[in-house]
Amino acid sequence: MSDHTAIPKKPGETLFGFLFLGLSLFLFWQSYEIAGFDALSSPGALPLAASGLMVISCVIALIDDFKRPAEAGQIKAFFEHILPLSVALMIGIIFLFAVLLEDVGFIITAFVFLVGTIQLLHRKGIGKSLLIAAVSLVFVYLIFRIVFVVVLPEGIIPEREIMAVIEAWFE
Amino acid sequence: MLEALSYFATSWLNPELLALTALGTFLGIYVGAIPGLSVTMAVSILISFTFSWEVNNALCLMVGIYMGGVYGGSRTAILLNIPGAPSAIATALDGYPMAQKGEAGRAIGLSTVMSVIGGFVGIIVLSVAAPTVSEFAIKFQPRDYLMLGLIGILLVGSLSGESLSKGIFAGALGVLIGTVGLDPLTAEERFTFGVVELWNGINPVAVMIGMFGIAEALNQLHHLDKTAIKQKVDKIVPSWKDIKKYLPLSLQSSSIGVVVGSLPGTGGDIAALMAYDQAKRSTKNPEVPFGKGAKEGLIAPEAANNAAVGGAYIPMLTLGIPGDAVTAVFIGALFIHGLNPGPMLLTEQPDMFWFTVGNLTLANIFVLIFGLTGIKLFAKIVEMPKGILIPLIFLLSIVGAYAINNSIADIWWMLGFGVLGYFMKQYGYQVGPVILGVILSRLIDENWRRAIMSEREDMGSLFINLFASPLSIVLFVAICLIFISQTPIWTKWLKPKLSRG
Repeated sequence: MSDHTAIPKKPGETLFGFLFLGLSLFLFWQSYEIAGFDALSSPGALPLAASGLMVISCVIALIDDFKRPAEAGQIKAFFEHILPLSVALMIGIIFLFAVLLEDVGFIITAFVFLVGTIQLLHRKGIGKSLLIAAVSLVFVYLIFRIVFVVVLPEGIIPEREIMAVIEAWFE
Repeated sequence: MLEALSYFATSWLNPELLALTALGTFLGIYVGAIPGLSVTMAVSILISFTFSWEVNNALCLMVGIYMGGVYGGSRTAILLNIPGAPSAIATALDGYPMAQKGEAGRAIGLSTVMSVIGGFVGIIVLSVAAPTVSEFAIKFQPRDYLMLGLIGILLVGSLSGESLSKGIFAGALGVLIGTVGLDPLTAEERFTFGVVELWNGINPVAVMIGMFGIAEALNQLHHLDKTAIKQKVDKIVPSWKDIKKYLPLSLQSSSIGVVVGSLPGTGGDIAALMAYDQAKRSTKNPEVPFGKGAKEGLIAPEAANNAAVGGAYIPMLTLGIPGDAVTAVFIGALFIHGLNPGPMLLTEQPDMFWFTVGNLTLANIFVLIFGLTGIKLFAKIVEMPKGILIPLIFLLSIVGAYAINNSIADIWWMLGFGVLGYFMKQYGYQVGPVILGVILSRLIDENWRRAIMSEREDMGSLFINLFASPLSIVLFVAICLIFISQTPIWTKWLKPKLSRG
């Protein structure tokens, strides 16, 4: 398996390898800071060994990379094959979701999220996206609230008060 | 004996547990079958949701999903030529050609029955072998645990990935992630950067959901517009004649499955490929050539991958060492519910062990029931467009991460590891070893320190004393072999010589 010189390098692979090498070196230094090299049974021993292995395996992977041919037009290819617009957008949207979740509340954030992403990925008309999002949100909400008893952030919709009113009707 | 039987029957007699196992198996078949959803993903997300449940209920659901999921992958492999799970890759080789000839129904029926037979073989071996292994395991030295843990990570790293160096990197990264927080022995801070919130470490469930949920779903965005081909499905229940004829092969494949499954670090996917290879070599005159729709090529991987489930439970329950990524996630779940898998589990909590065996058996029966029914509905659901499925996976992952501690912080961890996992996958690094590393980190850390302390910090005597115990020698040789088989010495020099000889 170590003999894979024929596979061409993916765009950005070498850079990623160097980033990992940087990370490994940083973590190795941090591991050293825990207890130095003084004892084999110190709390820092395993972190030192693990980060040391990371450094070594990174270097080997990089050497392997250098042997493999690179394609031309790296930057363009990177955004075509490794980080296409859909993936970048999705990461951004989830990031936003997490930022808004606590203040705006689960129901609204999740609904907007579902409508937006289904619209983006499925591309079948806004009406259909709204319907699918609403139906799946009702399912997800009921299952989590009732079966799994997960309390989700309520944000600007006063869920608890609404629930209390509904419960009061049945009493 | 009678006690064991009553524990065994717990989930059979309690209607709630029975229903949960059935539900889990049913969901598992769909999770396994829908490309883009994996058992590891489902179980990772479910762990956080079932926090508040009683441990038995949670286990029933998850065991069902595991058993059903391993089987479910075969259906899409047969119908669409897309293995729904890695363990069904070998199934597609002959299953899809069968479907193309209009024999999809027979292929599904046969694979169901053989999966169930394989499942039973795995469970029987588990119930016979586990007590013996755990008796034996009490004699294990810390250094043996250390080496077993390393073997697990090494095997996952070397077998699934593009290269051994990337596999080792991923495993070591996982081990390092597992050490974040206060050291359990000395309460010294490790990688906390002065942040008090990091004292408890990074929650493994957040790492799992990130790497198996988010990263995988991001990866799926590349294949949004793959369309499915519809197949005609008719007679499903296979004939007795076929079952009787192929029983020896399915038992042979099941044994391969159990053994491979019980090795730390290898699971159903590798078991299935090995069994396929073995069947191809041992079948002298197949009715239809392999790769063109041979029934043998369908039976072998299906029996093996379900047998591997029982096998994977052996090291998990007796040693606390996961057999593959799914069992790594399972161990995480057991920890969360306060159970401590290891050699003491069988003596201290025999109820837990026999409950699990009974539960696996029950789930296996449900596989048979659900496997032979409801194919029409199935074909419809599997065709659910990815443009709808992927947003739902994201939503479930986010809610799952939040539910771990009701905190947004875990969503950040999940997202971070999701993005990291996505890029790792793109560049040929596997995420399986990371999770195994995270789960095994503590075991490796503690056993390393115990081993080296008992040798008074002397590396030399640790090495020499290793040769005093046969078990340690075997484990040490195994580690060396894994390394040698991955280096140029083996691939360029030894292997050609051996195959010529």
